[in-house]
Amino acid sequence: MEFISPEGLRLDGRRPHEMRQLHAEVGVVAKADGSALFEMGNTKVIAAVYGPHEVQIHSQQLHDQALVRCEYSMAAFSTGERRRRGKSDRRAMELSLVIRQTLEAAILTHLMPRSQIDIFVQVLQADGGTRAACINAASMALADAGIPMRDLVVSCAAGYLNSTPLLDLNYIEDSGGGPDLTVGIFPKLDKVSLLQMDSKLSTDLFEKVLTLAMEGSKAIAEYMRQMLLENTQKLAFARGTLKR
Amino acid sequence: MVALSAAEVRFIQGGIAHDLRSDGRGRYHFRPFSIQSGVIPQANGSGRCKLGATDVIASVKAELGRPPAGRPKHGSLVISVECSPTAAPEFEGRGGEDLSLELQRALERSLLGGPSGAGAAIDLSSLHLLEGKVCWVLYIDTLVLSSDGNLLDALSIAIKAALNNTGIPKVEVLASTSADEDPELDVDNEESSPLDISRVPITITLTKVGRHYIVDATAEEESQMTAAVSVAVNRKGIVSGLTKRGGIGLDPSILADMISVARHVSQTLIPSVDAEIAASESRAAGS
Repeated sequence: MEFISPEGLRLDGRRPHEMRQLHAEVGVVAKADGSALFEMGNTKVIAAVYGPHEVQIHSQQLHDQALVRCEYSMAAFSTGERRRRGKSDRRAMELSLVIRQTLEAAILTHLMPRSQIDIFVQVLQADGGTRAACINAASMALADAGIPMRDLVVSCAAGYLNSTPLLDLNYIEDSGGGPDLTVGIFPKLDKVSLLQMDSKLSTDLFEKVLTLAMEGSKAIAEYMRQMLLENTQKLAFARGTLKR
Repeated sequence: MVALSAAEVRFIQGGIAHDLRSDGRGRYHFRPFSIQSGVIPQANGSGRCKLGATDVIASVKAELGRPPAGRPKHGSLVISVECSPTAAPEFEGRGGEDLSLELQRALERSLLGGPSGAGAAIDLSSLHLLEGKVCWVLYIDTLVLSSDGNLLDALSIAIKAALNNTGIPKVEVLASTSADEDPELDVDNEESSPLDISRVPITITLTKVGRHYIVDATAEEESQMTAAVSVAVNRKGIVSGLTKRGGIGLDPSILADMISVARHVSQTLIPSVDAEIAASESRAAGS
């Protein structure tokens, strides 16, 4: 299948190094301590954070750090083909684990011993790159909840199809059979906290694709930071602590 | 879970007795609500309803299926409710399943029109394509994103918005050769026709707190309820479904009274829901 036209455009009209339209909102779930909506093109994810609060299952309590838990779920209407997915399917469990580990690395858990932080991620629409969108949404929700973090965690995917590195694959490109690489970074510390790739890729190409994904992540980080700043300014105006 | 102190409980109960609730509403007033149509572009139709801090999404997907047994000239509706853990940590894992099932059954009662399908929200014969062979099956999937009481009413509003937003693709049945073979269909996704939603009911839940009952209870008020009755009413004031939930028994005379109050409330609520749906449709078309 041709993923890139002779003019160098992808199936949805993007250039190989172009990201989809980003949209983020903070504070979308009124009852949660922190929440965020994150959209990358047609992929749409909501994350809610509850906590830090008392540990619910006493035996899970950690005496020197906070317990971080994560649950990933997909809405029945999120995929093109309607399908009911259980919360306990293996893909969902793996994703919950990946999201939890990636974010736990950023949270200053030692500041909140004997407490628990719940992260819930809900996919409303899946069109490729859900892993990255989930991490970005959860990261913003944690920031909205005021949970102390080393840095934002930002994630972006990249792939390699028709001998071209492509940024931010959509569903059709994702199912194209080429390698799909998801990276999660701390943009300010310049460190990688998540790295996953399937299929095969030569080492020098891998480096190219990885650099592309990292650059994409940094662009997303810029946007996320700006959205969080705008939200904080809005709150400060509302409170009267910031004057125009 | 809502944790309330004794003073808060008395404040809520006293307010309801004096027809002035904690948020300034009277007993029969709904919270302000907003509707957003077409939030899920992948679906045939979708709607999101925010009622106070309650937030729900409904999507409609039309798929070709077989007509229900014994009703060869009907299509069918399938409803599902999911409670996302984003709404409350208790919904984690299998925690939301009881509530999902309760809401799903209540919606099925008011929308599916019983075993004969006669009182269904959508005219089921309009979903019929080829007798006994093929029909449209409308999958109505709903998701609770944020919960602050009165989920059932919010779900029914979101479903109405989603059905109003739904376009059924045009289908041409190509002449099939024999009665045994599966017919060939030509689905044209470019052209679609809207559904007739004039019969779709809105659910109005009356929650009994102390000696009085209120509409559109918040999570705090619901925690103090002794019983709740959900009445599905359509635009003509016809009751198409009833569910009583919770707690103590109700006097039959109170029940009749509650139904008439629900119908009365529906006379102002349904036009405002319809106006909001029309406004959100024109917003969605404009953007």
